Amino acid sequence: MVFSSLFFLCNFLPVCLGLYYISKNRTYRNWLLIIVSLLFYAWGEPVWISILLLSTGFSYLSALVAEKHKGSIKGKVALIASITGNLLILGFFKYSGFLINNINGLLGTSINIPEVGLPIGISFYTFKIISYIVDVYKGEAEAQKSPFKLLLYVSVFHQLMAGPITRYKDISEAIDNRVETFKDFNHGVSRFIIGLGKKVILAGTAGKMTDTFMGTDYTRLPLLGAWFGILMFALQLYFDFSGYSDMAIGLGSIFGFKYKENFDYPYISRSASEFWRRWHISLGSFFKDYVYIPLGGNRKYRIRNLFIVWTLTGLWHGADWNFVIWGLYYFVLLVIEKAFLLKFFEKLPAIISRLYLWIATLVGWVFFYHNDIGQAFRFLGIMFGPGAKEISGPELNIHFWNNAVFLVIALIGCTPVISGLFKKLAQEKPEGKFTRFIEVFGKPVFNIVILVLSVIFLVGQSYSPFMYFKF
Amino acid sequence: MKKLKIDTWFFIILITLLCLVNIFNANKPTVSNLENRALKTMPQISLSNLVKGSYQRDFEEYYSDTFIFRDNLVKLSRDVNKLMSFLGPDISIVTAVEDVQLPPNIQDEEKEAVIPAPTGSEISNTPENSSPSAENVETQAPAQEPEPEKDFGDGPNVGYWMVVDGKAVQLFKFNKESFEYYAQVLNKYSEKLGDGVKIYSMIPPTNGEFMQLKKYKGITDSQNDALDYLKSKLNDNILSVDVFDALNKHKDEYIYFRTDHHWTALGAYYGYSEFMKSKGDTPLSLDQFEKMDLGDFLGSSYTKTLDKSLEKNPDNIVAYKPLNNHEFTVYKGNEGTKADIIDLKYTDDISKKYLVFISSGGATWSKVKTDINNGKKILVVKDSFGNMLVPFLVPHYEEIYVVDSRFYNINLTGKNIVEFVKDNGINEVVFCIYMEDVNWHKFMSGVENMLGNEM
Repeated sequence: MVFSSLFFLCNFLPVCLGLYYISKNRTYRNWLLIIVSLLFYAWGEPVWISILLLSTGFSYLSALVAEKHKGSIKGKVALIASITGNLLILGFFKYSGFLINNINGLLGTSINIPEVGLPIGISFYTFKIISYIVDVYKGEAEAQKSPFKLLLYVSVFHQLMAGPITRYKDISEAIDNRVETFKDFNHGVSRFIIGLGKKVILAGTAGKMTDTFMGTDYTRLPLLGAWFGILMFALQLYFDFSGYSDMAIGLGSIFGFKYKENFDYPYISRSASEFWRRWHISLGSFFKDYVYIPLGGNRKYRIRNLFIVWTLTGLWHGADWNFVIWGLYYFVLLVIEKAFLLKFFEKLPAIISRLYLWIATLVGWVFFYHNDIGQAFRFLGIMFGPGAKEISGPELNIHFWNNAVFLVIALIGCTPVISGLFKKLAQEKPEGKFTRFIEVFGKPVFNIVILVLSVIFLVGQSYSPFMYFKF
Repeated sequence: MKKLKIDTWFFIILITLLCLVNIFNANKPTVSNLENRALKTMPQISLSNLVKGSYQRDFEEYYSDTFIFRDNLVKLSRDVNKLMSFLGPDISIVTAVEDVQLPPNIQDEEKEAVIPAPTGSEISNTPENSSPSAENVETQAPAQEPEPEKDFGDGPNVGYWMVVDGKAVQLFKFNKESFEYYAQVLNKYSEKLGDGVKIYSMIPPTNGEFMQLKKYKGITDSQNDALDYLKSKLNDNILSVDVFDALNKHKDEYIYFRTDHHWTALGAYYGYSEFMKSKGDTPLSLDQFEKMDLGDFLGSSYTKTLDKSLEKNPDNIVAYKPLNNHEFTVYKGNEGTKADIIDLKYTDDISKKYLVFISSGGATWSKVKTDINNGKKILVVKDSFGNMLVPFLVPHYEEIYVVDSRFYNINLTGKNIVEFVKDNGINEVVFCIYMEDVNWHKFMSGVENMLGNEM
């Protein structure tokens, strides 16, 4: 079950909301959240929900031990055991195939790959659990005495599938003391709708173009077609992922939680360093707080630490070499930027550094997209000239102009221009007629339109015609 | 701001309403006429289905398949998409992925005859479902994703449909290896069947070849060039029927449908005429057939694109029925049933009228026995374009056998195609397969498979 599905929207969510708001009792509401979250997870992962429960249970116990025996060996053992256990589970499900393939390739063996699927959300909840146990060990958070409240943190359905990777200490208060207000409810719904629209309408449309230009043989792809394709992919990824985060944050707000932002308009960045402070923020900060800084951060062995963090970041995104290359690509960029590039760009107009960032990001996405590294280089060859048989083509022409309006909307959507305008308006003329009109009428009507369009698009996506023989 | 805002109210009311309406909607549709397929039914609950997760997946599919107002919403979503493209040249290109399930090529006497699942399954390109998100590996499995075109290997076929001026045109992307493979397969047939059987290759082009859009030159490859290339690869004793020239002469006539990828009966007539002439025979004139007007038709391209300009401009389907006495039998395995060569039972549904030709052409094999005792027996190895050709052949042959490589099953008939030809005393074989299927390796591998074990 995904948020952007008719089943979630029209079945799960209304029932969930109805049941939640029937009673004001905190205990009731927390238990309801746990139950629906587990049902939500079990719906997609009926067997491997066991792993989620086991991991949580094991970490619950380890955290209690770690807290009680802080500073002593027992505490440290509990910490290491829990982290190792979680990483082993993640490693088994996610990386065993990759590992075995490489061993077979290197040593000529033919070990069988265990046929396990990847349990949904495992990369996210594993990191949540690790952050919890480390924070408890360091004394930054108090161990949760109730295993069920810990389970609520780990499994709350808002973040289970695709983050953000929330820290325990950020919501431990909220588990017991949150207050669900009308204001937050409104914000939550608004945020959810925006996220839904981003995913279904924007990412959906971009995705169609990605498939058209990047999903086929590259023998006829013109140079501009390659750029158009990877641009669409970049938009698809952003709206898909940030849209999903928006929905998660919106849902959180509806239920009284305040989750931190996960995306901050990454495509307006002027450097890769800045990009990674705006893209998938919860992942970047996880690696910073739990890998980079413990390893020494900028103070000791900076380059080595960066290398490790970026290899891991790449690998986290996928169990394949192209992801590792993608991560290391950013490692190189970040090192170069810190060394001299950033200072160089400071002297130049902003547009130059923005252009640099866009090109760098698009090149990065080429590696992200292609599991086959040879294909990635082939695609780059077309983008930068030598591989392309022509610069443009009639099909590109038609697709480009058909999507010109979409492109403009999408690019504006990547920037804080619109929301910036509204904020300015609210600040300068808080009681003005126009401000009030926007608040009471403009924004809500906009949301209603987005919601209706999203439902229409969702139904449209299920269309799958069958030719001539049916039944 | 106090209390709930109007968008929040709207949201709550909408999702609650949709929830209730879908629960209490007792008459869930089971068939989608728009999509030409059966809709998913409520799955059976069982412990194993729940544990496997298949119940959940099927239920979600069932839920969205039977969602209230679905057909209207689907059309609405297409209209909204079209709206966004208002800066464009009022032409749209839709990519559609097509796949086919081939019958087995191994003669297996021990296996009990299993009717193969109906083929011609086409997966519409709905990449909205593909969601890369952050983790490539962990995303929700997209429902359909067009696979990259492969030169070899049995991948699906990607089709490009351009809708312009109220008609849909199929764009052609020449795949050299596939054409070489076609020649290989026909050469093999020629070797196995021997000198006693004359082989003809008749490849109807797609309507993209006759499109007169100078602005978009190069958007479709030259099929005429592809055919010339092919001629050089075929054995000398295989005769290539020059369908292209015949159609080109009449390109301003109604020789292709606007809303369907097939040629019309008129187009097929010109193909048939050329075929006859190339053999040294005389084709009949059109008025020597019974003309049947079957009314409005909205075909495959409409179903794929749901384009309003096609909907407003439906085709008119005309059939030409042979006048001489004949008996048409369709076989399931080796069990035959009589049918009409222009089968009117398919005229009920505006989107299925193409199936009137040789009663859908989906039998394991079929046969026409005529009152003409000239000893001429022909086998038509076809895809759906060949359906149109068969009625025109009826006045010229004693027996016409029709076989579609997607449906001919060696296990059901007990013989491979070589044996089939020999046992029935067939002396001519015409391959009537259209350009896109010639260009698709997987399709032609089905034709090769019919030769059976002796590969």
